[in-house]
Amino acid sequence: MNKKIKASAAIVAAIALSFGAFATTSASAATKTFTLAYQGPLSGGEASTGIDEQNGVKYAIKVFEAANPGYKINLVSVDDEGDPAVASKVAPGVGTNTKIIGLIGPAYSGATIASLPYYKAGNLTVISPSATRVSLTDPKSPTAKSDYGRPIFHRVVATDDKQGPALAKFATAGNTAAKVFVFDDQSSYAVPLRGYVEAALKNVKGATLVGGDSVPNTTTDFSPTIAKIKSAGANVVIYTGYYSQAAVFVKQLRDSGSTATFAGGDGVFNQQFAVLAGKAGEGAKLTGVAGLADVDPKIEADFKAKIGVSSGVYAVESIDAANIFLSGIKNGKTTRAAMNKWVKSYNFKGIAGANIKFNQHGDISEGGFAGFLVTGGTLVNKGPVA
Amino acid sequence: MKNFNLRDFGAGIWERSNRYQRVAIVLVTITLAALLPFAGASFLATPVAAYDAVLVYPVAIFVLMSLGLNIVVGKSGMLDLGYVAFFAIGAYTNGLLSMHTGLNTWEIMPIGIGAAMFAGVLLGIPTLRLRGDYLAIVTLGFGEIIRIVALNVSWTNGPNGISGIQMPPPILGKEFALDDQKLFFWVVLVMILLTIWMIRRLTVRRPGRAWEAIRQDEDAAELMGVPTLKYKIWSFTLGAAIGGAAGVLYAAKNLFISPEMFTLNVSILILACVVFGGIGNIWGVILGGAILGYLPDRIRFISDARLLVFGLVLVVVMNFRPDGLLPRKKREKALVKKGASA
Amino acid sequence: MFTVFIDQFWQLTISGIALGFIYVLIALGYTMVYGVLRMINFANSEIFMWGTFGAIVASRDLFGYNQTSEPAHGAKLALVLFIQLFASMAFAGLTAVTVEFVAYRRLRAKGTNRLATLISAIGMSMVLSEVMRLLTASRPVGSPRILEKVILVEVWGAQIRLDTLITIMAAGAIFIILERFVKLSRMGKAIRAVSMNEDAAKLMGINLNRVITTTFLVGGLATGAAGFFYITVYEYTKFNIGFTMGLAAFTAAVIGGIGNIRGAFFGGVSLGLAEVYASAILGTQWKSVTIFIVLVLVLLFKPSGLFGEAVTQTRA
Repeated sequence: MNKKIKASAAIVAAIALSFGAFATTSASAATKTFTLAYQGPLSGGEASTGIDEQNGVKYAIKVFEAANPGYKINLVSVDDEGDPAVASKVAPGVGTNTKIIGLIGPAYSGATIASLPYYKAGNLTVISPSATRVSLTDPKSPTAKSDYGRPIFHRVVATDDKQGPALAKFATAGNTAAKVFVFDDQSSYAVPLRGYVEAALKNVKGATLVGGDSVPNTTTDFSPTIAKIKSAGANVVIYTGYYSQAAVFVKQLRDSGSTATFAGGDGVFNQQFAVLAGKAGEGAKLTGVAGLADVDPKIEADFKAKIGVSSGVYAVESIDAANIFLSGIKNGKTTRAAMNKWVKSYNFKGIAGANIKFNQHGDISEGGFAGFLVTGGTLVNKGPVA
Repeated sequence: MKNFNLRDFGAGIWERSNRYQRVAIVLVTITLAALLPFAGASFLATPVAAYDAVLVYPVAIFVLMSLGLNIVVGKSGMLDLGYVAFFAIGAYTNGLLSMHTGLNTWEIMPIGIGAAMFAGVLLGIPTLRLRGDYLAIVTLGFGEIIRIVALNVSWTNGPNGISGIQMPPPILGKEFALDDQKLFFWVVLVMILLTIWMIRRLTVRRPGRAWEAIRQDEDAAELMGVPTLKYKIWSFTLGAAIGGAAGVLYAAKNLFISPEMFTLNVSILILACVVFGGIGNIWGVILGGAILGYLPDRIRFISDARLLVFGLVLVVVMNFRPDGLLPRKKREKALVKKGASA
Repeated sequence: MFTVFIDQFWQLTISGIALGFIYVLIALGYTMVYGVLRMINFANSEIFMWGTFGAIVASRDLFGYNQTSEPAHGAKLALVLFIQLFASMAFAGLTAVTVEFVAYRRLRAKGTNRLATLISAIGMSMVLSEVMRLLTASRPVGSPRILEKVILVEVWGAQIRLDTLITIMAAGAIFIILERFVKLSRMGKAIRAVSMNEDAAKLMGINLNRVITTTFLVGGLATGAAGFFYITVYEYTKFNIGFTMGLAAFTAAVIGGIGNIRGAFFGGVSLGLAEVYASAILGTQWKSVTIFIVLVLVLLFKPSGLFGEAVTQTRA
């Protein structure tokens, strides 16, 4: 045997060993074991969103198990990388694994659309904490045939068409002659939201749309966009993308001497925005849904004690979504069909205090967006924007 | 054992067999491949992802694309880093036509292949005069351009992508089903077999010899009267056709496409399949596509470090087997060392 | 469409040049390695990314700055910036040498096909970016503000900021130093000799491994310096920033004529300008498309880039 073959044999052996390391777990007889799943980006560039959400789910499960001895909840982590291509690879496995009686997620709308056919085929109820694309619950959208998620899709987050007007209104509040510049980051989240913001601006008195741009989400040099803002003489700048780019942008905007109001949607609504932007972030206006620390500092402290890290984005939504399934399990809904009925008729308060009840399309009726002002490095709640 | 080479060993068996034995070998191989979807309960099973879905995409479609890219990179020695462009064109042809017309997958297939070939010729005529790394960066740019156009124009639905693509119509009375992808796997397998057959026919005929000459020394080939540009465009276009076919199949399998599925990473991954398996050798390329398509899903249990391990595997295998797992024939390899064109 | 371009021409030009100088330094990383090995160093983008983290580690962990601390002044400012630059270059230089050692050396010794090396480098770049992703939990990392971004003067409506000026001047200086190093020093001569003819250089008693390691080191240092300027100007990094910057810089190197050091300079600056101008005229979403079309046009008329492929001459 020559060296080459030896080396290859070693590689093959190593791979075989690592395969063997995979084992299945079996439930013990004494406790009642049920399986839920979380689907979202747990690796890749979007991983922080998924990890934050999954922590919320894990927290809800820990609280539930502590309060209900005798129940054991297995959580299957379904990593779709936030990528529709990956989602369509993992979704069939989840759809046919009937042990899973409910799925929290998928986190992103694109991945949701790619997964839906498999979950519909398997009648698996899903509750997404963060997929906001309108067509998912709109039977009248042009792509309803494939996107409309009824009867299995639900979400505990308000949609882009609600956020667009809220953002337009909040960004221009107190400015009677708002000249607004709106730009997106080319993602499937930001582009539709920008559309709703621009449409809503027409109904805001005194506001005019003076320009826009579409900036790839890998950009860090925003000088052309800033040149456009200056050339258009805008005094309000709305960004519909995510917080990390927003922080880089707002720093450059302030360094260029501009004093225009900066506003962003729930993609920017993140404590990390204030941290990354530093002083430049002061006075930024963001729309979003109140986070866990904002809802109840006591729960936040408990969260940190149980999970080991602070709660992140969509923590409230993730916990709510998980609680809906957990209460179903407690009420003996242990099949997919029973769980679906349970979720459809669910009507209880979420941890933020608002009532959670799904309409026939899978949207929640209550709960809207609040406006936040970045003050002293934290996001200060200025109350709901209606 | 000093010069043992699995590829030559395999070729030896083939050459020593008579006609009947060869037919038997082929039939057994095809049967084994066709039975793969039934092996889901064995150690091959993939955690989380459904095994039969993984077999279709990435495994089978990666194999198909690797075979196509191998014509360009392996047979005629042109470094193409934008192969995803043709995949995207095929997928978008399927998406757009199934959105706006009543055509089904099999009717769209020739149109998708045609569109990809057309793009191949269009890109090939001005750029295939370039050599080596210059060609690489231009093709890479082309791949990015296709993706950015799909992202920014309204008729492709921009970043939202196209959803609701039709499933293929039944074949021989058997319906395509979402929760059972065996039929789809067999369809792709037939495409792979057709591709192999085509490549083998071409390789032993005039185009194959021309590609081989171009790969080893383009200037010498030109001097000997080989119309190099013409054959390079041919090779490029054939590769494009297979990429386009893979794209049509992918869209029909996925039912949803969006620009973020067609990034440079796909081009790089397919190139990695080709080189990893054994550039220029059909069987090596198939092995490479199968392993690199399958591995990330098989090692999902190490979830977070998956790509890290994947990268390490690439580095280690390339270092210890630079010609791939199943290298091409020694005779061909010896020549490639002298010419720096590959 | 052109109003922004005309209105803000000088501002755009200055931003474009500053961005261009960062590209120049990354492009040097590609060009140095290409000149000697005739290989694209695919991992250079990740070397850059590691360099940006070097600058942050220096200011945040060594000097204890955080997001809310005041910018530094006077001698302290110079010291911190210098240490940051040093840390960036050290991080990137070490990474580059590691890449050479792990991904290139063994394959080069075997004299095997170049594609294997390319894939090995791609594997290495995956490893580098994944390691950083795991270290930072996929989150973006902000850099404390060290240099206050004062507007020095306004000329024709264009602001010249301190950070822009420092970037242009210091990056220019680093470029000239490296260019002189390759041109005049003994090691630089050895590098050029290897790039002309590897076998002959070996026969002349040049230690091939040492020359190649040095080439990677020098390319890594330039790329690391780019990382420092990137941090100073944009104050932000993430494990995946390398890809976009690397692709742009690589394109710049090819436009100028890959392997040619002066070509990298010209290519980098013109790419920075082209990117900013295209963003202003057509919209930022079309900038990469414009760049690639320019690239194809340049290569059609000058098939080996504007300045030709010569650190020396093309090898047979």
